[in-house]
Amino acid sequence: MNPAAVKQSSVSLEVQLGRLRLANPITVASGTFGYAREMAGLVDMARLGGILPKTITQNPRAGNPPPRTIETTGGMLNSIGLDNDGVEAFLKRQMPYLAGLGPAVIVSIAGESREEFTRLAARLDGVAGVRALELNVSCPNVSGGVDFGTDPAMCEKVVAGVRDACSLPVVAKLTPNVTDVTSIARAAEAGGADALSLINTCLGMAIDWRRGRAILGNVLGGLSGPAIKPIALRAVYQVAQAVRVPLMGVGGIATIDDAMEFFVAGATAVQIGTANFYNPTVSIGILDALPAALAELGAACVADVVGTIGGKGP
Amino acid sequence: MTEDPRCTCYADHAWQGTVAIEQNVRIARDTFRLRFACPEIARRIVPGQFLMLRLAGTNDPLLGRPLALYDVICDSDGQPALLDVVYLVVGKMTRRLAALPPPTPLDVWGPLGNGFPPTETSHLVMVAGGIGQTPFLTLAQEYLGLKTFGDPPRRVPRAEAVTLCYGGRNRGYLAGVEDFRTCGVQVRLSTDDGSQGHHGLVTDLIGPVVEESPAACRIVCCGPEAMMETTAKIAHRLGLPCQVSLETPMACGIGICFSCVAKIRDASGQWDYRRTCVEGPVFAADDVEF
Ligand SMILES: Cc1cc2nc3c(=O)[nH]c(=O)nc-3n(C[C@H](O)[C@H](O)[C@H](O)COP(=O)(O)OP(=O)(O)OC[C@H]3O[C@@H](n4cnc5c(N)ncnc54)[C@H](O)[C@@H]3O)c2cc1C
Ligand SMILES: Cc1cc2nc3c(=O)[nH]c(=O)nc-3n(C[C@H](O)[C@H](O)[C@H](O)COP(=O)(O)O)c2cc1C
Ligand code: FES
Repeated sequence: MNPAAVKQSSVSLEVQLGRLRLANPITVASGTFGYAREMAGLVDMARLGGILPKTITQNPRAGNPPPRTIETTGGMLNSIGLDNDGVEAFLKRQMPYLAGLGPAVIVSIAGESREEFTRLAARLDGVAGVRALELNVSCPNVSGGVDFGTDPAMCEKVVAGVRDACSLPVVAKLTPNVTDVTSIARAAEAGGADALSLINTCLGMAIDWRRGRAILGNVLGGLSGPAIKPIALRAVYQVAQAVRVPLMGVGGIATIDDAMEFFVAGATAVQIGTANFYNPTVSIGILDALPAALAELGAACVADVVGTIGGKGP
Repeated sequence: MTEDPRCTCYADHAWQGTVAIEQNVRIARDTFRLRFACPEIARRIVPGQFLMLRLAGTNDPLLGRPLALYDVICDSDGQPALLDVVYLVVGKMTRRLAALPPPTPLDVWGPLGNGFPPTETSHLVMVAGGIGQTPFLTLAQEYLGLKTFGDPPRRVPRAEAVTLCYGGRNRGYLAGVEDFRTCGVQVRLSTDDGSQGHHGLVTDLIGPVVEESPAACRIVCCGPEAMMETTAKIAHRLGLPCQVSLETPMACGIGICFSCVAKIRDASGQWDYRRTCVEGPVFAADDVEF
């Protein structure tokens, strides 16, 4: 590729994630953009490639007791606990609005059992505006449930069950809190996932030593933000070598440089999370900078740079 | 458009941008008044709303911090131009902020939250503890007919009297008392150590103010949770309308993280965790499950 030959205006931003096509690879991560309505006054949402609303469950969940978040150096811990009003309230109150926005709506679901995942998928199949499902098999804040994201066999069954239950493209969102993320990724691929998103938050905690107590109401929480970007990049890089399905990179993305690093590591699209909290318009800023960054590498489309990492060291 | 009926105050008229510190001066012990030009927010903000403020160009601290509107300053044409917030130094961000000279850049987004309802009130009794006096200066100005807020300006029927009951650890921490007096607010003070005003709790001051008042009272309250709970109970016992402004920790201020929740009761008396940034920070005291 000859960098000089590629003009910014001719760069194509469309990306393909299995059966799911996005107008551009910049999306916002589940749980970090509310149900999108909150952002209407601040963000030109129609321009986003995709929107992932906050994870929904079958039944309403109150979530964990506060404090639910605490800032840490370069990041934050959260233990929200999937606070949501359940799938029926979501379909009635949030989905009609989301459907009218334009970007692909990828609905994030979590179940306490395999059957619950399947039932949610069947319920969402065919709903106007739902373009794909993301399976949150990786939330560290839900106690009691089986951890579908850490057991490859369970993960494969959940994904396969959802594939059977609906005709929607399926993205499996994986946790970094495992010894070998590639084995879970392979299992999700074997289950029929169209794409994988990596990573959910990294399990952590914060302590008030004077009072001898954990700071979060739920004791443990998920670490997110710039602090976890190297972990997310590593996971995307490793999984890109191990599977054939496309990846969505998520973890600490806050600038165009961050996003480009994820493409080069092997991500076809990115999700922006915690950065929305401290810079509400960050996603549009990254989207605006994307054509020039791709052109700088002489790329005619996003796919031209995906997984191009070659050498090592300086 | 279908939307959650409980949420009334999304950041639909919010502005996000970078501003420069114009003044950052100490006004009491560990307490500073910060001034910056921001006509976009100054034009729209109403008493009880807040802003998110963040040190620009650094990821440590990472998140914005919520600070209540303290005052709006107009330019020579009488147009709202400058914003004041008053902050107490308590932790990472406020410690760094206190050391920053003009014209250091700050990231800001707002106005956020619902603000105090402009309901007709004969005698407005404002109860503040700690740094909880900050949302009340503009509210007093509004009810005393000195200023209007919002775009278009919201109409607030004039009150016959406005009283501030304000308690602090000691006299050194009492901040901005003269600002209130200048507006014509009747000020009653308390301190934990008796160094100024009543020796004891600020909530001890509420009963006498209400008893002596010839006009019907409405109570608004902001401060530590225990003090808001006591105030809510007193108001309930006296049968007075009361709103509290909650200061739950916030990570985004715009409704997208679900970290700022408080237990709020619905009409049936059941509580649910609600986001204080978009459904508050001002709630009817009777709806809050302390
Ligand atoms: C709507 C609203 C309006 C507000 N208005 C004002 C205002 O007008 N003026 C004002 O001064 N404040 C106001 N506050 C409070 C203000 O937002 C906080 O004081 C501010 O966020 C503190 O930020 P910080 O980085 O300095 O403190 P942080 O470092 O975030 O600490 C905040 C508090 O948590 C405690 N804390 C921090 N880290 C730890 C830890 N590791 N272990 C245990 N405890 C810890 C600190 O001691 C401190 O009390 C408002 C809050 C809300 C929600
Ligand atoms: C407050 C908060 C809430 C979150 N809620 C969800 C959620 O409901 N579902 C989910 O799949 N991920 C959730 N996440 C994880 C993010 O989607 C993302 O995977 C993670 O934060 C890493 O990306 P980041 O560093 O850009 O935030 C949440 C993260 C945060 C900080
Ligand atoms: S502070 Fe994020 S939802 Fe209220």
